[in-house]
Amino acid sequence: MAPFVDRLLNLDRRWLFLLVFAGVAVPIIMPMGLPVTTTASTRSAFEYIEALKPGDCVLISYDYGPSSAPENDPMAEGIMRQCFMKRIRVVICALYALGGLQLANNSLAKVSAEFPNLKYGVDYVNLGFKDGPAAVMKRMGDDIVGAFPTDVRGTPLAQIPMMKGVRSLRQVSVVVTVATGLIGEYWITQAHPQSGVPIIVGPTAVGAPKYYAYLNAGQLVGMLSGMKGAAEYEKLLAGRYPELGRFYKTTHAFTATKGMDAQTVIHFIIILFILIGNAAYMSQRAARRKAAAR
Amino acid sequence: MTHLSDIGTWVAALLTLFALSFLYKDNPLFRFTESLFAGVSLGYYVGTTLNQTLVPNLIHPLTHDFNQNWDLLVPGLLGLLLYMRYLPKGGWIARYALAIYVAYYIGLDFTRRLHGEVLPQLARAIVPLSKFDAHTIFYSLVFAAGVFSVLIYFFFSKEQDRVTRGIARVGIYFLMVSFGAAFGFTVMGRVALLIGRLNFLILDWIYPLVGIK
Repeated sequence: MAPFVDRLLNLDRRWLFLLVFAGVAVPIIMPMGLPVTTTASTRSAFEYIEALKPGDCVLISYDYGPSSAPENDPMAEGIMRQCFMKRIRVVICALYALGGLQLANNSLAKVSAEFPNLKYGVDYVNLGFKDGPAAVMKRMGDDIVGAFPTDVRGTPLAQIPMMKGVRSLRQVSVVVTVATGLIGEYWITQAHPQSGVPIIVGPTAVGAPKYYAYLNAGQLVGMLSGMKGAAEYEKLLAGRYPELGRFYKTTHAFTATKGMDAQTVIHFIIILFILIGNAAYMSQRAARRKAAAR
Repeated sequence: MTHLSDIGTWVAALLTLFALSFLYKDNPLFRFTESLFAGVSLGYYVGTTLNQTLVPNLIHPLTHDFNQNWDLLVPGLLGLLLYMRYLPKGGWIARYALAIYVAYYIGLDFTRRLHGEVLPQLARAIVPLSKFDAHTIFYSLVFAAGVFSVLIYFFFSKEQDRVTRGIARVGIYFLMVSFGAAFGFTVMGRVALLIGRLNFLILDWIYPLVGIK
């Protein structure tokens, strides 16, 4: 027993990396379709947008970069699909310097292609990237044109039809910040108190714990926590809109629901190895004590 | 266009493998990828900021309608002054611009922290229990016990006695639970990144390569 325990405790960690690699790769090649349960914070975000009327305005802020795209992309795209289904006007901006704009462009191109009847400038607009998120939000609270004089294509906002009634954040029904790092917090602690605009946050899993304090204090109307939150949103969308349900089932593209298969397998592996590691450690310690007592 | 996107996929796939190769051991391919990433990120940041922030907010208004936008010269000049620190004898000039920049953000952050964080969180921590059902009362009591005991744990102005040490110990348990939750979320976040990369490698690179649609 003792040699086996010693070998286990001195196991080359690269074997674990290989196991984790296989644990992620196998569910991608052979999807398992494990069930996803929804939480109250995601349901409340979904229902808030669901309660909006056609013509209302939602601002989706791309406050993340490629380093967290697998978690954040499905959230942003899911919410954009819901808005487009309901003919809610969507304003997009990016406040994250390293790739936020590129991801916003990619998402918009992908989702708008699924809704060919919607028009740029009438149903949705991309304001582009602006540096200095805190200062930009402060300005948007009073005057969006002051922060973004033109859209991403260089067209002055005054010439964009859907921006006519949207002068500041006060005319926006809800801000959805899909965020990594601090920018999501700025929306909650600065834009919300300044203009009263409701906030939905879609943080990465790493950032999610701190947002629970804001959710608990009623500063958020909903939250999608990491890939799990995105998968929950996809489930709610699929349940409410059968055409989106068919889309999520048949698409070959990456979805959070597919990602949750691998998440579940990996969490199982990690928990298993935590138990094995602790059992081996305690067994070794007991053997040492026994040897010392002799 | 297809060929270009194919080349892009190959470059991205190889760079992903080079980055992951560090898990086996440190090697020149990993270090090349690391340096390339840092360089490309910086170049991207400079280019995006120039095109999306400086041109529409400063350069375009100044060149197209100077009379209406001459006041933009002030922030523009302050921005330029920041670079004076690179002059051998002009470093002190940059401090004025930096002082204004710091003062602006202190003012902004002070109100942000107070109105956006301290007051709403404090208001949530003080709730009348008479208005709630049994479940919410229990939840609020646990919440209040957590806030109180953790505050006691971080109160360093007076030496702890037997009572406060006991309360601080409860605070440690609350902190441990929160660290555990944060660790669980962190694992989920890091695994999500690996899922994203392997999805790309398998679905966008290997499958088309072997003819699987």
